[in-house]
Amino acid sequence: MATTSAGASEIPNARKAADAAEDAREVVFSVRHLWKVFGPKADKIPDDTSVTELSAQELREQTGCTAAVRDVSFDVHKGEVFVVMGLSGSGKSTLVRCLTRLIEPTSGDLEMDGEDVRAMDRTALRELRRRRAAMVFQHFGLLPHRTVVDNVAYGLEIQGVGKAERRERANEMVDKVGLAGLEKRRPGQLSGGQQQRVGLARALAVDPEVLLFDEPFSALDPLIRRDMQEEVVRLHREEGRTMVFITHDLAEALRVGDRIALMRDGEIVQLGTPEEIVGSPADDYVRDFVRDVPREQVLTVRRAMRPAGEGEADQGPALTADTLISDAIEAVARSGGAARVVEDGRCLGVVDHACLLDVVARIDRPQHGEVAA
Amino acid sequence: MSTASAPPAAQRGLGADAPKSGPVQALLDRRGLAKLLLLAVAAAVLVPLAHATWTGGGWPSALTVDVSGPLGKTSDWIIDNRDSHWLFVYFLGHLSNAVVLSVRAVYLVLLALGWTGVTAGVTLLAWRVAGPRIAATALLSFLVSGALGMWVPTMQTLALMVVAVLASVAVGALLGLAAGLSDRLFRILRPVLDTMQVLPAFAYLLPVVLVFGIGVPAALLATVVYAAPPMARLTALGLRGADAGVLEAVASLGATGRQRLLTARLPLARKELLLGVNQTIMMALSMVVIASMIGAAGLGDRVYQALASVDVGAALAAAVPIVLLAIVMDRTTAAAGARLGADTATGGPAWLRGWRAWAGIAAVTAVLALLGRLAGSLVWPGAWAVDIARPVNDFKGWMVDHLYSGVPVIGGTADWAAHFTNWVLNPLRDGLTALPWYGTLLVVAALAWLIGTWRTALTAVLAMAAIGVLGVWKPSMNTLSQVLAALAVTLVLGFGVGILAAGSKRFEAILRPVLDVMQTMPQFVYLIPVVALFAVGRAPAAAAAVVYALPAVIRITTQGLRQVDPAAMESARSLGATRWQMLRQVQLPLARPALLLAVNQGVVLVLAVVIIGGLVGGGALGYDVVTGLATGDLAVGLVAGVAIVCLGLMLDRVTQPTERRTTGKGA
Repeated sequence: MATTSAGASEIPNARKAADAAEDAREVVFSVRHLWKVFGPKADKIPDDTSVTELSAQELREQTGCTAAVRDVSFDVHKGEVFVVMGLSGSGKSTLVRCLTRLIEPTSGDLEMDGEDVRAMDRTALRELRRRRAAMVFQHFGLLPHRTVVDNVAYGLEIQGVGKAERRERANEMVDKVGLAGLEKRRPGQLSGGQQQRVGLARALAVDPEVLLFDEPFSALDPLIRRDMQEEVVRLHREEGRTMVFITHDLAEALRVGDRIALMRDGEIVQLGTPEEIVGSPADDYVRDFVRDVPREQVLTVRRAMRPAGEGEADQGPALTADTLISDAIEAVARSGGAARVVEDGRCLGVVDHACLLDVVARIDRPQHGEVAA
Repeated sequence: MSTASAPPAAQRGLGADAPKSGPVQALLDRRGLAKLLLLAVAAAVLVPLAHATWTGGGWPSALTVDVSGPLGKTSDWIIDNRDSHWLFVYFLGHLSNAVVLSVRAVYLVLLALGWTGVTAGVTLLAWRVAGPRIAATALLSFLVSGALGMWVPTMQTLALMVVAVLASVAVGALLGLAAGLSDRLFRILRPVLDTMQVLPAFAYLLPVVLVFGIGVPAALLATVVYAAPPMARLTALGLRGADAGVLEAVASLGATGRQRLLTARLPLARKELLLGVNQTIMMALSMVVIASMIGAAGLGDRVYQALASVDVGAALAAAVPIVLLAIVMDRTTAAAGARLGADTATGGPAWLRGWRAWAGIAAVTAVLALLGRLAGSLVWPGAWAVDIARPVNDFKGWMVDHLYSGVPVIGGTADWAAHFTNWVLNPLRDGLTALPWYGTLLVVAALAWLIGTWRTALTAVLAMAAIGVLGVWKPSMNTLSQVLAALAVTLVLGFGVGILAAGSKRFEAILRPVLDVMQTMPQFVYLIPVVALFAVGRAPAAAAAVVYALPAVIRITTQGLRQVDPAAMESARSLGATRWQMLRQVQLPLARPALLLAVNQGVVLVLAVVIIGGLVGGGALGYDVVTGLATGDLAVGLVAGVAIVCLGLMLDRVTQPTERRTTGKGA
């Protein structure tokens, strides 16, 4: 817990996740002041205070270096889906590769389950990659000369698991991701969505503690992408496995993420729940980013309610505090009057037509949310 | 285009009255002109100096170094010490013995299998790896080889091929593996391998003869040196070209370096590896045939002997099995590559897959071999042989009588050859010889610099100067004149046919199988029809070179034109461009890199055959190599060999567009 709050407070503009305060959840990845700089004498950059404050372009002009990841700190909690979102070139893919040192970080601290990942030797690192963190890639990275089942079993093969056992496990995983019947096909004979299911099954087959996704669905058609996102949500619900999910697609981030870190030029601009990102953008960049999000589908009534007026605290339909605005609109429209927001039997406030419309219309009135919170 | 316009431009530079005043800045803005200007300035200073010091057109004798003395001494020393020096006793001797033993062993196995066993084995093998059609081709080819009375030489060649290919693939794969895994080694090896691929086969003969003497070991080693580079090159490129995403995924699963190599990098490179094997086999066959000049028995030897006595019929009887062997080997490995490369599961009934298929092949081969033995016909029965030499020679005699000269209106083939020699080759040769040597160097420098970088220009000029220093300027100019004349013909024909083929799908479909066959035939084979048509001399050598280089030029031109961005073509068509306008203004400019590549390939291929043309009266450097070998005067042959290497280097560099240039052109 101590590290969590410390970590959160060190991140500029980051708000504490609402549920992070509730219980001392185990931290899987703990990242502190992580840097990855590409270029000549890259290792000098993070310690050189004269250049660390420069913008990305100035840094490149002055030193010839590119800082893909700049002083990034965050924690990934056990069982959550942690999304890193940003446009291309924001450093998100580099960041996720740094977690298992597929790309060697330039400086900073990196712990997994309290173990110092950066201090690991090759054997320990290989063990980490084999059993504890498995990755799913944007372009699948399947072996074209192997069948589906052999691709899925590949991770186990590398670990030295016997043929019969790994076949059995692999078949299980193939069923799990809905590819039953295609075991003997080669990747070249599968559609993009099916190939990514193979990639997912391969990662799941080694039963890793964490799944890392690097823009896994960017190369897929929109409809298939949605299927796959639902697949991930389903898997997460069933297994509760920790996931780190990289994406450039805000809708995807909002759909799958428990918490979202928004990156720009290698830095985390904002870290918070989807509701926090959409409801309280940290700066103009984030505001711009979330402009087109249908707010009623992300925000909850907690953010829309106003203090209950006289006689309102015991009238109208009751809603829980995490009710989505869109659901609240329906309830309010049906009842014709204001609805109460109730938590633990206590009335926190009320929402009426005006409050809800304000949220949808993006009008921020000071009495909303902040007052109630 | 720039190749055609550059020589006059360079010669203008020779005049040394380059415009120094005036809009110099404007000239400097254009890179090509700036280079020429710089060269002109250098020429203005150096040419009068050179002219004052050494007069005369040819290479000044003061600048030559006589290497025949030291070379002769080296050769003598090697001959004297072959049985005593440790280098020979403990290393080269063993190598040589191993080669002789293994070739002998394979040959004996082939003989023991008999013609029934070998034919059955090869056919079934082709069936297993490449399918029934190619199996039928293999069956037919071996039967024809036997029927032509060439069974024993075919087996001799096959035995040499088996050992040479195994050795080449092993050496090439190891080198390629090392270069694929180590960046430094790759940087060192790549230019060496690239250069080795452009050198004519003849250049490799002399050095191995110097060390091993004439015989099977020399022939085999020359073959390995010639055939291993494509394997090494393609292995390295395949390993390096592996999909980075797959490799990263493999690393993310915690694979060790060894696991990554064995389960990902090598399998991912299997297409390149098989292409490497295919190319190695084709190069090995080409060289095994040529190496008959340094002691390889077999089909090549038959052709060589027949050519020496201008016996076209006998040469053809030996050449047909060579061609058939080439086709069978090429199609089998290519089909195997295509099958492996396809990302589909192998189909077919179970008995055709896995160990059972191999066991079946072995069993059937053994049974047939036994049957052959019982029937007492191990070697192809003489009664079944067909003698084609006599009818072919009769036909040739008829051609000599009726086609060589005196055909009304069009004249005869010998007349054409004479005209080509008198009107093209002779003036060109005399012109090149008369051109002051510094002039030649300047033209080379200007051409290479215009198309490539200053580095390629420097290499080309140094290579050219080395020829002069070695004292073989005159024969080299002779060879060069043949190369240039043949190249001009090749390019005119090749570009013409290529443009036609790019324009018409039907024409290309007719052309493709012809080109396929032509590209698989070893260089040596091309000499036979031209000798039949044009007798001996420089013209037939040039003709053989044209025929040999033509398929590659046509193919590259067609592909280059076909790959022109369809969007650009469409937009030109929408603007109402005529076909001719589209060709001239869109297709040709956009296909420029491909056309330059065609010129480069054409030069390399033409040179290879012009050199071999020394066997059929081409004279010049090729003849020096042949006489050097025939008379045991290794110094003459070696010097000619080095000159060939230099000429090859120069021609390749002069026509080698740099990547920077081609990409810069597109922008």
